Amino acid sequence: MNQTKVIIFDAGTIINFAMNGLLDMLVKLKKDFKGKFIVTEKVKEEAIDRPLTIKRFELEALMIKKLFDENIFELPYDLVKREDMISERNKLLDLLNHTYYAKGEFMKIVHGGGTSSLALSMILSKKGIDNVVAVDERTARMLVENPENLRQLFSQKLHTKVEMKKDISFLKDIRIIRSSELLYLAYKKGLVDLKDHDVLEALLYAAKFKGCSISFEEIEQIKRIG
Amino acid sequence: MIEEKEHVLQVLKEVKEAFRKNDVIKLHELSNQTIHSASIKQDDTSIAFAVVTYSMSKILERTNYQEYPGWTYFFQKCKQNLEQAIKGLERNDEEGFKKHIKAIEGLIDELTGNFKMHIQQVFEKAKIGKASRIYEHGISMEQTANLLGVTLFELAEYAGRTGVSDINLNKTLTVEKRISYVKEIFK
Repeated sequence: MNQTKVIIFDAGTIINFAMNGLLDMLVKLKKDFKGKFIVTEKVKEEAIDRPLTIKRFELEALMIKKLFDENIFELPYDLVKREDMISERNKLLDLLNHTYYAKGEFMKIVHGGGTSSLALSMILSKKGIDNVVAVDERTARMLVENPENLRQLFSQKLHTKVEMKKDISFLKDIRIIRSSELLYLAYKKGLVDLKDHDVLEALLYAAKFKGCSISFEEIEQIKRIG
Repeated sequence: MIEEKEHVLQVLKEVKEAFRKNDVIKLHELSNQTIHSASIKQDDTSIAFAVVTYSMSKILERTNYQEYPGWTYFFQKCKQNLEQAIKGLERNDEEGFKKHIKAIEGLIDELTGNFKMHIQQVFEKAKIGKASRIYEHGISMEQTANLLGVTLFELAEYAGRTGVSDINLNKTLTVEKRISYVKEIFK
């Protein structure tokens, strides 16, 4: 087994930390981590390059960019070849967008960034590199952990029959965490410089309200674990 | 040719009628109907139609907009474009339908001052609102943001305030298991 460990960050997770003013928490976590925080090129585009062109989000994008400049986040090319990365991402993108079928059409459900994170995880696992993917949005998580639930969700929401035309069970070995688990760990490690109130609850709700797909019930369960 | 033409035509006629009658509730309801085809087809026109219908409901809801000098022009032009879009569909003229649906948002360029700013904001918020609904339907956040031309920042913030994360089907792993992943990787 390769000794390098990797956390692959999706754009939503980084954006969540940025919007909550918690990017310093990622810096502290990185110092405590025996490995790399990796971001794919596509994710970098979404978390930095595009928001840098929009005045309302320019500041957050600059703060995220600083983490790249300081090597808190890195691109994956020390570990994988760029062409392999692109090839795997495109294959997966095509497959996932030709999996769910409704009303005579394949549903285009994913885009490049999230898919590139999943593709990278598979490449790293094949190389024996221990990794997890930090994804806040729920669709990627459901594709990996329970694609049948996603089919049922589509069917319920669209009030129509939705079929799965491809077997994507090979994704199930990808391990997914969210900003909520990273914040939980930061709290447990004493990296959160706040006290006198229910800090863990505050962190988890902050993550939820900035797009982390965690339910109220899950927040209560995490609080009970403490 | 446009799929489900008859359904779209029916909805479009109801949108026109609801707009004419200032029926905000009906428009809101119709905008929800448009989101199903927008989620599946994801073509520009389905998306634009969903955004336009929702925006119209919001614009009519804010009755103070009707006091702006540009209101009558805007209202009449919206009606005309809806009528032309209906005629386009009836003639199987998909391009005509698309042109007139998109022209409704394009009317913003013909407005001025605060009225222009308000209408622009309504459309921008409508895009985020509709993006959130499409995400709620199961399409990934990134794909949805890309479709509607909104940022992940805006969409994540909006979606975070909805109940999208609280439905049972979302639960794919126990919290204990997921916490074990993060603890293991940090060992």
